[in-house]
Amino acid sequence: MTVSIGIDTGGTFTDVCIFDAEGRLTIYKLPSTPDDPSIAILDGARQGFAAAGVTPEETGYFGHGTTVATNTLLEGRGARTGVITTAGFRDLLEIGRQERPDLYDLQVEKPPVLVRRRDRLEVAERLTYNGTVEQPLDIDAVREAVRLLVERGVEAIAVCFLYSYLYPEHEQQALEIIGQESPGVYPSISHQVLAEFREYERLSTTVVNAGVGPVMAGYVTRLKEQVQALGVPVEPYITQSNGGLISLDVARELPVRTVLSGPAAGVAGARSVAAAAGLENVITFDMGGTSTDVSLISEGAVQIGIDSKVAGYPIRAPMIDINTVGAGGGSIAWIDSGGHLKVGPRSAGAVPGPAGYGLGGTEATVTDANLALGILNREHLLGGRMAVAAGAADAAIERLAGELGLDPMAVADGILSIVSVNMGRAIRVISIERGYDPRDFTLVAFGGAGPLHAARLARELEIPQVLVPTVPGALCALGLLLSDLRADFSQTLTRPATPDALDAILHGYSQLEAEASAWLDHERVEQERRRLRRIADIRYIGQNYELPIDVPGGDLGEQTLAGILEAFHAEHDRSYGFSAPGEPAQFVTIRVEAVGLVPTPEFPEIEPGVGTPEPETTRAVHLASEGRTVEVPVYQRETLLAGQHFDGPAVVEQMDSTTLVLDGQRVEIDRYGNLLIRDERS
Amino acid sequence: MTATRTALDPITVEVIGSAFSSLVEEMGTSLIRASYSTNIKERRDCSTIVFDAQGRTLAQAEHIPIHLGSLMGLVEEILRRYDLDEIDPGDMFIGNDAYTGGGTHLPDIVVLSPVFFDGEIVGFVSNLSHHADFVDRGHAHIYQEGLRIPPVKIFDRGELREDILEFILLNCQVPRERLGDLRAQFAANRLGVRRMQRLCERYGAETVKQAGGALLDYAERQTRAGIARIPDGTYRFTDTFDCEGLGQQELEFQVAITVTGDEIQLDFTGNPPQVRAGLNMVWTALLATCYYAVKIVVDPTILPNAGMYRPIHVSAEPDSILNCSEPAAINGRTQTCQRVVDLILGALAQAVPERVIAACTGSNSGITFSGVDPRTGEYYSYLETIGGGFGARATKDGLDGVQTHVTNTSNLPVESLEQEYPILVERYELASGTGGSGRQRGGMAIRRSVRVQGHQAAFGGSTSRRLSSPWGLEGGLSGGRARIVLDRPDGSHYEDTGIPTLLEDGDVITIQTAGSGGYGSPSERAAEQVRLDVEDEVITAEQAREDYGL
Repeated sequence: MTVSIGIDTGGTFTDVCIFDAEGRLTIYKLPSTPDDPSIAILDGARQGFAAAGVTPEETGYFGHGTTVATNTLLEGRGARTGVITTAGFRDLLEIGRQERPDLYDLQVEKPPVLVRRRDRLEVAERLTYNGTVEQPLDIDAVREAVRLLVERGVEAIAVCFLYSYLYPEHEQQALEIIGQESPGVYPSISHQVLAEFREYERLSTTVVNAGVGPVMAGYVTRLKEQVQALGVPVEPYITQSNGGLISLDVARELPVRTVLSGPAAGVAGARSVAAAAGLENVITFDMGGTSTDVSLISEGAVQIGIDSKVAGYPIRAPMIDINTVGAGGGSIAWIDSGGHLKVGPRSAGAVPGPAGYGLGGTEATVTDANLALGILNREHLLGGRMAVAAGAADAAIERLAGELGLDPMAVADGILSIVSVNMGRAIRVISIERGYDPRDFTLVAFGGAGPLHAARLARELEIPQVLVPTVPGALCALGLLLSDLRADFSQTLTRPATPDALDAILHGYSQLEAEASAWLDHERVEQERRRLRRIADIRYIGQNYELPIDVPGGDLGEQTLAGILEAFHAEHDRSYGFSAPGEPAQFVTIRVEAVGLVPTPEFPEIEPGVGTPEPETTRAVHLASEGRTVEVPVYQRETLLAGQHFDGPAVVEQMDSTTLVLDGQRVEIDRYGNLLIRDERS
Repeated sequence: MTATRTALDPITVEVIGSAFSSLVEEMGTSLIRASYSTNIKERRDCSTIVFDAQGRTLAQAEHIPIHLGSLMGLVEEILRRYDLDEIDPGDMFIGNDAYTGGGTHLPDIVVLSPVFFDGEIVGFVSNLSHHADFVDRGHAHIYQEGLRIPPVKIFDRGELREDILEFILLNCQVPRERLGDLRAQFAANRLGVRRMQRLCERYGAETVKQAGGALLDYAERQTRAGIARIPDGTYRFTDTFDCEGLGQQELEFQVAITVTGDEIQLDFTGNPPQVRAGLNMVWTALLATCYYAVKIVVDPTILPNAGMYRPIHVSAEPDSILNCSEPAAINGRTQTCQRVVDLILGALAQAVPERVIAACTGSNSGITFSGVDPRTGEYYSYLETIGGGFGARATKDGLDGVQTHVTNTSNLPVESLEQEYPILVERYELASGTGGSGRQRGGMAIRRSVRVQGHQAAFGGSTSRRLSSPWGLEGGLSGGRARIVLDRPDGSHYEDTGIPTLLEDGDVITIQTAGSGGYGSPSERAAEQVRLDVEDEVITAEQAREDYGL
């Protein structure tokens, strides 16, 4: 086996993860370079290769996670874009769903419209609900619109006509005209971006794709050259929002698919770590400095959602169902006008940072609460690389306690309670609200702060087990080595779920599968590594939201239809608490998910041991359950051996994270070095 | 852990408060996703709520502020009508009637379930959906407006009362949708009951109860703190009200608001008597509207519970349009509610001008079409309410084309509605020049044109601000007015109350809602901003010249 490298560019750190031919894992972490992310990528690659003792030429696989598209959108740095749309609908982008973003806040603003009204041009054309042409496309008007927009200096043009997913010809004609009139402009065509109904969401997705397109195209071109110059013989793959990887070409054409990819690699990493440990049902809990991402994996499958918003802009694309909370280690605790303690969403960020970092911060953060309670090391963090100003953390907590008239330890503990409840709410959304009981899952905790809060959160939700991977701080980079190539193909095809419709449905699947195969060919995926999966979005006639149901491959007969419908009724019952088997149902959108399996490295096992390990030292930790301060054993992660176990309360320290184990919980170290924390009380 | 604490500190209260919010949000998600009709699924015209054992609101997940009026009404009615020993676990009540069932208009059907724990009622959970039914009706009095459902048990100790359900469905125009939506409502309540019981198992019923009480006190403190920041005094405001139901008549509305320390009194004495049109507000609708208006001015983050109501005092004469009595018709009461909010903001502008906004679109402009779909032969009913201008703020322009104040329903995707109804949308756009000029410009209105396809459709249109304009503040000018017009394929043209109630194939209805008022003198607006507005056709060249002097 050759060398695999994963490089994840985060907001603060760029993480590098290398598996060499012998299956050895090397992790390297360096600060990101936001102005030009490639500096850290190339430095990281070079130094990572050196640290692993391999050469770039040995690389057989290069996975890359980037936030280029996300940041472009969040920072409003997208390319200047024009829109061409059906006559009568130029303001659709601005009206959206006509809701205001907040019910009660009179000062609320809608996110800035990505395209000025002047640059949203209408052309005569109209299709109807069944895809027939009501009014043909005015070709001259399109040509004129393209010329006008180019004259005004747009770099990208988004085209979205009503019902284009049923009859793409009008949009295809517009695309041709754009190519003829101005080959330099980046085209984004709605039926290519998303062949599904709901015009506003499709338009919004198409416009976002247009805006980030030119930026992504530039990034991808540079990255390709630089990686080549480094001597790496393969092209990098890029993570997309559905957790799979795509080639640079696809990323250039459909950059919107990478907009929500940030947390996706971490989920893929968590999934693989859990699978290796024999766990198929897990909730991922990725807590960093300013935000936390949670998602659910059921029977080994990552849950995929379709609708999301980034920076207030609706994006409809297959993406991991990740729920993000604006709270992390740097979140600030404060008292509101009614005298209640609140945590976040304001964060101390990297500067000034938590009070306890001694960089000038004075407000109490979640990290300060952990320091005050003694859960975090009060002398130094990052394996000794960073000194801690515990006194400043205590002072910040005491100030809050004074205002509340409570004991400082109770306040510090209260901050953690509130964080736990907020995280718990986020997890309820992706579990209970989707019909899953968290008590049937294992919590996989990672990110710098995940392992610190996981034990408490698990108890809050009665999750019976927590898994802390060996490299909680670099799981995203690891995930890049463990993700498969993946693309989704879809087509809205509304038909009653009756035997009469099966020919049309089968024909639709054949077309999508042909597209999927063409993509797999393009990605040069060997036949035995290809996986195609059919999914149908089904609803009861009259409903307006669909449930995704698996559809068997091959021919579709009455028997298969009966099976599909049975699965639909069951899923409806699981999701909403009732089903109506007597009611007619309909197909709405059919999907094909194409996967190219990437050869994934084996996880290295750690040295075996027996019994209870010796703690490195002890530390005074204030435990809320005891209502007092207790001397708690502190273990060093690197010294723990497979098969060993110990009981809480305990603290486990390692360079990139700290794990807290509560009273009544027991830790076991598995053969890969994962910490498995179980509650002995329940 | 929190469960082991004895005294109820603010942290435990916060934790349990968060659990209440989580509970109603979960009910809301379940309700929206499982419902059948577009009005709930796409437009989210529904709300959920949890009450304590006394019927006081603990938390709500309202998508539409006016829904509070119906939700708080039903629990009061039930506690008045039923002794506690007549209520059993597994019971569920249903109601919609404004005079006996706690509703504010008949399409809003509320279901309510008691939550039992250890044999005691520890609270109630409830949800409301606006059923797009009871359409094509008269509005002289409530008997014309649809089926009146008093508070009755739809579930008796867990058993669905099929006879009651059948009785209700027989009186609905689209029973299949109603059944699907009601099932989703029932399921959402059952979920809420389970969640509330879990909460009691976890923390103990007594702790949950105490936390509920503390949360009410907390919201009260927040509200008082906000009111105290308004200078003491009495502030009056008057405005005129119009709507299709009143023909060309205009009514004079008035309010007198007195702020004394941390309490506020809203007095609506002297408003017109109730009218023979579906525009009257019942008492709980007025309360919900006042709570909304006070909240947006004093502190939008106040916890949505009954503690907030305590420092807010409302008075209005019975039998008046703002506090009507049986048998006044009420179907279009949000038209009136919207203008009550404007009234309150207009009065408070004298006290805290920087915290209020200019008049919004001032209406819950709606169009309804019903008939037999020629493609399926089935009866359909299509309701859509259309947003407008959101008033300019002291330092920000208003919002263009949004739902305002007591409503926030979303639109229906064109690609969804044309599939479902025999209707074609010709235009859907912002109406240039309808935002009131000002240093801060008012938000633009929406214009929507829809064509009837291949059948006869019964039509109803309702909007306010046809005869008066949404006012500006501090020198800002008023915004554009609303109008509904009909254009027939033969070239004939009808407006306003002249539009026939039965439409033919090819008829095009165009509704343009009202814009909103500007804030501050237009002469203070940056010239560059005016130039951009002209380029983007947000304002007309004429406005640029005459209002802004460019």
